[in-house]
Amino acid sequence: MRTSDVIVIGGGLAGLTAAIAAVGRGRQVTLMTSGAGTLAIGGGTIDLLGYLENNTLVATPRAGLSLLPPEHPYSKVGSQVVEDAVQFFLTMCQEESFAYTGGLDQIQWLPTAIGTVKPSCLVPLTMDSTPIQTASQVVVVGFTRLKDYFPELISKGLGTIPGFQKEYQEIVVDPGFTGGRDVTTLDIARWLDTIQGQQVCREQLVKHMKPGSVVIIPPVLGSRPSYVVRDTLEKMLNCKFVEAVIMPTAVVGLRLRAMLLQRAKRLGVTIMEQAHVVKAVQESKRVTAVITGNVDRERSYPTKAVVLATGGFFGGGIVAEHDSIGEPIFDLPVTAPAEREEWGTRNLFADAAQPFAKIGIQVDTNLRPVNSEGQVVLENVYVAGRNLAGYDYCLEKSGNGVALVSGYKAGLNC
Amino acid sequence: MKKHHYNPDACTACTSCVIHCPVAQAVREFQGPKLAGPAGERFRLQEDEWESALEYCSNCKNCDISCPSRVPISTLNMKARAQYYKTHKQPLRDWILSHGEQMAKMAGLTPGLANLGMNNVVSKAILKTIGISNKAPLPAYASESFIKQFKKIKQQTYANKAVFYPGCFVNYNQPQVGLDVVAVLQANKFEVIVPEAAVCCSSPLVVNGYMDEAEANAHKNIAILQDYVKKGYPIITACTSCGLMLKQEYQELFTIEGIEQVASHIYDIAEFLLELYDKGQLNTNFAKQTGRYLYHAPCHLRVQGIGTPSLELVRMIPGIEVIDADAGCCGISGNYGFKADKHDIAMAVGNTLFETIKTSGIDTVLSECGTCRLQIAHGAGAKTVHPISIVRAAYDRK
Amino acid sequence: MQATVVVIGGGATGVGILRDLSMRGIKTVLVEQKDLAYGTSSRFHGLLHSGGRYAVKDAESAQECIEENTILRKVARYAVEETEGLFVRLPEDGEQFESSWVTACAKVGIPAIPITPAEANRLEPQLTRRIRSAYRVPDSAIDGFRLVWQNVMSARQYGGEVLTYTEVTAIEHVNNQVAGVKVRNTITGKTDSIACDYIVNAAGSWVGHVAHLAGVDVHVKPDRGVLVAFNHRFTSRIVNRLRPASDGDIFVPHGSITILGTTSSPAERPDDTIPRTAEVAALLKIGQPLFENIYNYRILRAFAGTRPLYSADPNAAGRSASRNFTIIDHEKDGLTGMATIVGGKLTTYRLMAEKMADRVCGKLGVDAACRTAVEPMIADASAADMAAAKRFFPAYSVNSAVSRLGAKLNEIVKVMEDNPAKRQLLCECEMVTLAEVEAMAADPTSYTLEDVRRKTRIGMGTCQGAFCGFRGVGVAVANEFIPAQEAPNFIKDFLEARWNGIRPVLWGNQLREAELMRGIYGASLNIDGAVKHENK
Repeated sequence: MRTSDVIVIGGGLAGLTAAIAAVGRGRQVTLMTSGAGTLAIGGGTIDLLGYLENNTLVATPRAGLSLLPPEHPYSKVGSQVVEDAVQFFLTMCQEESFAYTGGLDQIQWLPTAIGTVKPSCLVPLTMDSTPIQTASQVVVVGFTRLKDYFPELISKGLGTIPGFQKEYQEIVVDPGFTGGRDVTTLDIARWLDTIQGQQVCREQLVKHMKPGSVVIIPPVLGSRPSYVVRDTLEKMLNCKFVEAVIMPTAVVGLRLRAMLLQRAKRLGVTIMEQAHVVKAVQESKRVTAVITGNVDRERSYPTKAVVLATGGFFGGGIVAEHDSIGEPIFDLPVTAPAEREEWGTRNLFADAAQPFAKIGIQVDTNLRPVNSEGQVVLENVYVAGRNLAGYDYCLEKSGNGVALVSGYKAGLNC
Repeated sequence: MKKHHYNPDACTACTSCVIHCPVAQAVREFQGPKLAGPAGERFRLQEDEWESALEYCSNCKNCDISCPSRVPISTLNMKARAQYYKTHKQPLRDWILSHGEQMAKMAGLTPGLANLGMNNVVSKAILKTIGISNKAPLPAYASESFIKQFKKIKQQTYANKAVFYPGCFVNYNQPQVGLDVVAVLQANKFEVIVPEAAVCCSSPLVVNGYMDEAEANAHKNIAILQDYVKKGYPIITACTSCGLMLKQEYQELFTIEGIEQVASHIYDIAEFLLELYDKGQLNTNFAKQTGRYLYHAPCHLRVQGIGTPSLELVRMIPGIEVIDADAGCCGISGNYGFKADKHDIAMAVGNTLFETIKTSGIDTVLSECGTCRLQIAHGAGAKTVHPISIVRAAYDRK
Repeated sequence: MQATVVVIGGGATGVGILRDLSMRGIKTVLVEQKDLAYGTSSRFHGLLHSGGRYAVKDAESAQECIEENTILRKVARYAVEETEGLFVRLPEDGEQFESSWVTACAKVGIPAIPITPAEANRLEPQLTRRIRSAYRVPDSAIDGFRLVWQNVMSARQYGGEVLTYTEVTAIEHVNNQVAGVKVRNTITGKTDSIACDYIVNAAGSWVGHVAHLAGVDVHVKPDRGVLVAFNHRFTSRIVNRLRPASDGDIFVPHGSITILGTTSSPAERPDDTIPRTAEVAALLKIGQPLFENIYNYRILRAFAGTRPLYSADPNAAGRSASRNFTIIDHEKDGLTGMATIVGGKLTTYRLMAEKMADRVCGKLGVDAACRTAVEPMIADASAADMAAAKRFFPAYSVNSAVSRLGAKLNEIVKVMEDNPAKRQLLCECEMVTLAEVEAMAADPTSYTLEDVRRKTRIGMGTCQGAFCGFRGVGVAVANEFIPAQEAPNFIKDFLEARWNGIRPVLWGNQLREAELMRGIYGASLNIDGAVKHENK
């Protein structure tokens, strides 16, 4: 009878991290994923903690951790786990030849496409913005017909922010796309994957750019988890690139996802695509199998433990109908305001958490789901990522951070 | 089992499908699955226009696999295509490529001549005028169909019966695969029944907009297979596109009584053998083999959500090493790559896979899909084998 | 500034009057405190009534409706979608009403063709199968935004002018004769005065406030109606419940979406337009008998508007206050040169405008006939224009774009022809091109992204601005409509306005979309952090 030690449900950052951590302990891991999730379209930076719930900036992520309420996922697992998860991530990226930089003791301020800056913690080398700090002049590169990127938004917007008040010069590169669908960041990243693209780009930039420039560019330095494109172009142009944060498709997430998938597969995680888990088999307080709901029939997969990393509302991990809310696989208790009217504050941007953003599953310090009395509901299930209650990742800038830390912890426990 | 809904409500415009669409990556003229699919659907409910981008969709299902909202994107595209062809005529080229079964039956009268016919310079020029690529790897017809050969086999009788649905490609082009399936099932003490009256699964008809014909075929097949299912017999396929149609696409596209019951009894051959393994009933008496292979998972298998059973199965054979190519779509997507105006796109789509194969140092690729095998042989110059043939060889102690 | 007439209020009534007067050669300036169609004209069903709804209780109103319906389907062709409508009776709706309804329709002259329930289901497959009887009527769908905008475009051709974000701060009169208005631009703060001979108060639910500035009283009770917009078009006909008019009994297709409404409850203020979850829940419950699958349909947003109900009886409320319109000449209050038009419904806006324009002309001694019932607002697009449009607009959206752009179609097509970059789809959900957005953003009445939204439909589809919002801001900055430093606030205002409608419907797929939207603007672009910085 084929069976798994661990089935990880959900192939986002939390699920992949849990799978990699678990397989690293010698567990036999199957990861079931349904859809590519937000990791593929989002910015693949590890935003650990930028703001507290009242929209106060933290001094450093580490400092912020100590100010969090007990129900926050970081508080549940403890700061040592946060430290270890960060180290785990940085080591993993190093080993995959796709190093990230950063740590708990400083904020990485990243320029965004709308001319703001946002606080992050662990970022790919292409997004390390420290070169901007010491530069007095910065080049902002745009691309002809690129739909979701406006160089003047960045050059003029950033200019009002302390630390980013530089002399900005805009250059537009024309990749020569004619006709066809609208040009996205991914199209340009794929173009720069090619030698020809790199050469055309270089030719156009070198005309207008001084050696030694610091260059803000959309995330187009290749579509794969590798720094080859960045290194090649930086060498050709003698410059330093800083990729900006943009809206989906942000490419950076795609690269990170590819790196995590490649590592997971290499370490022996079995990955099942289009495997939509719909229910489970439980005996007393343990799960013995998960069941996928394929179009033709259900299939049962026996397992000794489960990591539930199904992505909250967006991922389908928590489902809210007009008159109900629930976790569809195990029917775990979900904490939510009683009145739907209270789910959202009057203003979208309110210097306070959105109540619906904090809806999720309550857990113990081992990330096992608990009921309202704090009793563990299922002993061999571990919850990670957006499914967790008690934090508003959009306000805090803590999304990938919680996913990483809780995925890591779940992977160690299961 | 819950069928897909047809309204586009679940789409959040996240663009995951566009990122993962191999055709969009290869050709800029394709607006992409989001615009052609759910975004377009909101307008198709109001307008009768034809989005020309829809012709680029190869129905490879990579959009469905990547969608975090479980939107039936490819189904929306196929239905839109069918709607368009209700009032427009398909080109002859599409007729030829969709009606492989009829073509084969005609060719079957004189397969030798037919093969000569299909692959010589003059015929290729004619085909090109119609719009069939003269560069694409058109499959040759076998001298004797699988069903004809099957009828000559003297099987061992067993209490356990299994129905084998070969599909057009195995039946007319690569009957050896079918024979290997029969041998393997026999080695597991199953007596095999082949329903001669069954017709084309209709995957090629659907993708070219012949929806009414596809539906008629589906009705026929369900009626035939239902009788066996009622007796408790499993229905085995050895082509992942046939399997996808019978398990899934019939339900997504048509309403047929009894479809759910039949669909729940369809198995890919490797899937079936693994379930025997789980029950402790698989014949694991494999002779030690040697061999290093690459495995290519067909897109139409990946979308079934059953993992990669063939890969798991052949890895049970001692002495064999199989590496998962894991390099995306091969590009052919059924008959898409045979079209003159789509051949280059298909080759561009499959390029990563071809390069992976060429640089691997491995000369044989395993894959359950017949047209994938053709495309891989054509694009990477590799030998291609159905995984079940490896299993058979291990049983035969060769 | 100087004009002969100042019209206060940029809804359908106001712009209708602007156009009618302009067509009669009278120099007219319209001032609107926010954006065109900001008020009730963009917060209703989108129903061009056949009159069936009023036939039994208010025959006069019904008569007006069927006449105007017929006229508008011709002259406002590009704002109207001739969907026709159904009146459908369910088992729990009494038969008596049906027979009085049939009689009333016949009397008024509203064609009501009986069809079998099976036929109704064949026409509209999503309808319940519990139908007992059904009738076809010439209800049509009308787009309030387009109607208002097309009136303005036409009026401009006749010399009419529109000033948005321009509130009236004082109405000046000399010897009880109107002399002009003082105005203030609420965005720039700039003040001005407009000398005029006549003032038309067409401020809808705000007529009372405006009247007050002139020192006169107009008692209007704003009555609040909540509606819901569904993500997809699950009915291609208007569907009315065949019973006495009540809440939640009309479904209207509106381009790519479907609208359900409405409710009626006293409003606290004219702009009491933030919908509540309980109101949405009530609407769905009432609507479900007609479309049983309604809880499975995704809701994009809820929205609310106030109806200006005027009644001589100060105690009349809700649906019993007359929906007929009234013109109040303030001579009766001792003020010459001002009249208020109040009540009515959008379907009869042209008639209301005609009557008011007749009065104004009478007072000014201008002898010019009304031509709004015969002259189309937009000349038909030629076959050549359509063919050109098809080359550049995305396939499914050609007809929508043509009806939005009206007379501007050729100009936009030329831009797209000359510059391929302008063919870009800025809004992918509603298929709106960059060329169109830039043209509309350049209009002097466009100050905010919401204004551009109202003119183009960006942000009104599936993603509710999650993707196109950013692009809209980028375009505004690239074209120097706003300074780049304003971008975070600009997008914030846009998203807050979208949020008003999403907050009451936080469930299902729209909740998922809201998470995605917050992920983009909060987690990625840090709008909340940025705006706060600016506040420091």
